[in-house]
Amino acid sequence: MLVLGIDTSGYANAIGLVDGERVLADFAFATRNESLARITLNVDNVLRENGLGLEDIGGFGVGLGPGSWTGIRIGVTVGKMLAYGTGKPIKGIATLEALAYEARDVQKLVCPIIGAGAGGAVYAAFYRFQNGEIHHEGDYYVGDIPGLADLITEPVVLVATKVAEYRDAICQRLKSDTIETMEKALSGAVVARLAAAHLEDGRHDDTLALAPLYLKESTARAFVNRYRKQVQATQQG
Amino acid sequence: MLVLGIETSCDETSAALVADGRTVLSNIIANQLELHRKYGGVVPEIAARRHTELIGYVINEALDAGGRTLRDVEAVAVTAKQGLVGSLLVGVAAAKTLSYMLRVPLIGVHHIEGHIFAGMLSNPELPLPHVCLTVSGGHTLLVHVRDYCKYELLGGTVDDAAGEAFDKIAKFFDLGFPGGPVIDRLATQGNRKAFHFPRPLLKAEANYFSFSGLKTAVINAFKSELASGETLPLADIAASFQEAVVDVLVTKAMRAAKQCGVSAISVTGGVSANRRLREVFSATCKREDASVYFPALSLCTDNAAMIAAAGQARLALGQADDMSLDVIPNVPLEVQHAG
Repeated sequence: MLVLGIDTSGYANAIGLVDGERVLADFAFATRNESLARITLNVDNVLRENGLGLEDIGGFGVGLGPGSWTGIRIGVTVGKMLAYGTGKPIKGIATLEALAYEARDVQKLVCPIIGAGAGGAVYAAFYRFQNGEIHHEGDYYVGDIPGLADLITEPVVLVATKVAEYRDAICQRLKSDTIETMEKALSGAVVARLAAAHLEDGRHDDTLALAPLYLKESTARAFVNRYRKQVQATQQG
Repeated sequence: MLVLGIETSCDETSAALVADGRTVLSNIIANQLELHRKYGGVVPEIAARRHTELIGYVINEALDAGGRTLRDVEAVAVTAKQGLVGSLLVGVAAAKTLSYMLRVPLIGVHHIEGHIFAGMLSNPELPLPHVCLTVSGGHTLLVHVRDYCKYELLGGTVDDAAGEAFDKIAKFFDLGFPGGPVIDRLATQGNRKAFHFPRPLLKAEANYFSFSGLKTAVINAFKSELASGETLPLADIAASFQEAVVDVLVTKAMRAAKQCGVSAISVTGGVSANRRLREVFSATCKREDASVYFPALSLCTDNAAMIAAAGQARLALGQADDMSLDVIPNVPLEVQHAG
């Protein structure tokens, strides 16, 4: 099945094209704040380069996040409309899983990390690959690097862009200097490939309901929730 | 020609089908009032998230309700200018993907131009040129509409929009959100002459508005009573405040029409649904031999039908955008002098 993968959760339009396990194209167009302006042009470029049209695509994969909130809204909306308009299925892929997939041949615990904006916060998760299958262990993590380091209790491979910075901070916290790293950016082809595995087994998302994976609530809502908890605590105390 | 309109500039997710720029086949509006009510105003991040969840459903419903399919769509028009950036980009991402897929023209529309077209869409007899007063939670703008897509900006607010003043007064007196409909309702039970609030810039010849001072004057007049827990004559306050706003809007719009030498005034935007505003405008125009036009209630607040109508008009003038269309959150309505 020909699957087009799109991820706009970072600073690039990552667009990939796979035919089952075979990667036909894997591009990352640097866009900075022109993600929206470039996205359909870049999708069209990738298809044209491969002599294909949208009508040839059998399904879509899209990076759901976590990542830039604006970015994932663009990717999810574009993916949703492509699937809706062509009537082909779509599968959303967690960006952390797509990043972890780069370390699929590693026996150790894999920890992908994605920056969560200013203030040094990160999104992270732990995955393990066994017999070619990926297993997500525990919950998604949102917080600072020392907090993430405290969750690490066994040998781990970090996967991220600018991974050295994360490694140094984690090593410092754990007083260890033996953490392995992989410097990787999100790949559209990986998103496509992970989506293809689901789609070929008939597992797809509800196209119209597809929504980003933010992991963090909006600041206004967080503020209200914090306020409510304080009020509750005062009332109980 | 069948145009699909998409509007997501603030907190309404809307999609519409309009045929030949005149016939509204469907106009689906999903508002998010419940989500924002507890904050007393629109929270941009919450609005953007909700648009992303709703956009597909709303477009699908617009096609269903209009009895058409995506293949029947001949152009896609979308609000790309003026609004909350995170909200705008959801609509533009959807519109450009559909336009790319269907290989039909894409037209990025200025939100205010949409409101101008809401007046013409509801009132085919509305003459050109005319003066358009757009009043909403985000805008208070006087525009000389010389011809289709040919505008002369006459003036706007120097601080709060009229609808924003309604919202802030309603929030201060804990009347509810959005403030416009709440105050409109409450005012019917009050005496509009109970208090005389200031009419900012009423006598100034320039076509500028200011509502921030009025809002502060109303709040200051009752601060001590509110602090001491006294029961306030809320209906009288609402009626008197509304009267001050209406007085300013009507006087300034009438004067602008005279300056431009036109006798037709179109009043659009969320506040144009206000009953007292409609009443005073109608009475004043009758007295002064002018005519006033209001949109149907469904076209007063933000909606995609007006965007589709504006898009159709731009396309008729040979103006369309290419695939690199992006959002511009803050840009004045293009000023294009006719002739």
